[in-house]
Amino acid sequence: MSISKHATQHKQAFDEPLWWGLFSAGGICFAVFLPAVILFIAVLLPLGLLPAEALSYERASTLLFSVPGFLFVGAVVCLPLFHAAHRLRHGMFDISVGNDALNKKLMYGGAALLSIVALGIVVTGFLR
Amino acid sequence: MDKLSTQRLPLLKRNWWLKHRFFKLYMLREATVLPLVFFTLCLLAGMVALLQGADSWQGWIAFMGSPIVLALNLLALAASLFHAATFFVLFPRVMPIRIAGHSLPDQAIVAGQWAGVVAVALLFFWLLGRV
Repeated sequence: MSISKHATQHKQAFDEPLWWGLFSAGGICFAVFLPAVILFIAVLLPLGLLPAEALSYERASTLLFSVPGFLFVGAVVCLPLFHAAHRLRHGMFDISVGNDALNKKLMYGGAALLSIVALGIVVTGFLR
Repeated sequence: MDKLSTQRLPLLKRNWWLKHRFFKLYMLREATVLPLVFFTLCLLAGMVALLQGADSWQGWIAFMGSPIVLALNLLALAASLFHAATFFVLFPRVMPIRIAGHSLPDQAIVAGQWAGVVAVALLFFWLLGRV
């Protein structure tokens, strides 16, 4: 299955344990945190099933723009993004889309960029 | 990977995974990240809205309530639970836990992780469910 991925390059891939570690950590976060996060923020909140002040503008700002908010974004946005990047990269390889060297840069690069944006938003809100 | 490997294995076609139920489930598991990415982008938009002000925040909540967005996020919720079911059974295989010389049964480790899911949901209920 991994012929064309490795046949042309014989050098050792030293970075793979890093991507695999981020994939695993992100997988745990996706499984343990995301069900509750999606249920409360993307289902109950827009359906108006939470108390009115639970995520008002003031309360949501206070909760997000804080140290726990920074950790929340790390566990709910950044790590799951690297998990998704890893699965997308290997999924694209499985169905022969693009070439792996470029997909790798695009996927992990995209996850890193969005992670920096997400953490940057929290820091900006915190410092304001 | 030795030099002869290309002679041993034929290149696979794009639809190789459609031929067996096991591989279809594998691809379904891989695909759970698609709705996850959608939800993450929604969440990022919400964070930007929160930075912009109260009107943007209310606008974002209205956007999250539109039928298509809500449907895709319900799909993300289902995907997260399916991913959890597949991911939790891997843990005891990758990292068997031994306590005082006895290995913890696989079911106990899986159950412990589901307990974690419930605990996080209870934390959210404590934080957001009552005012």
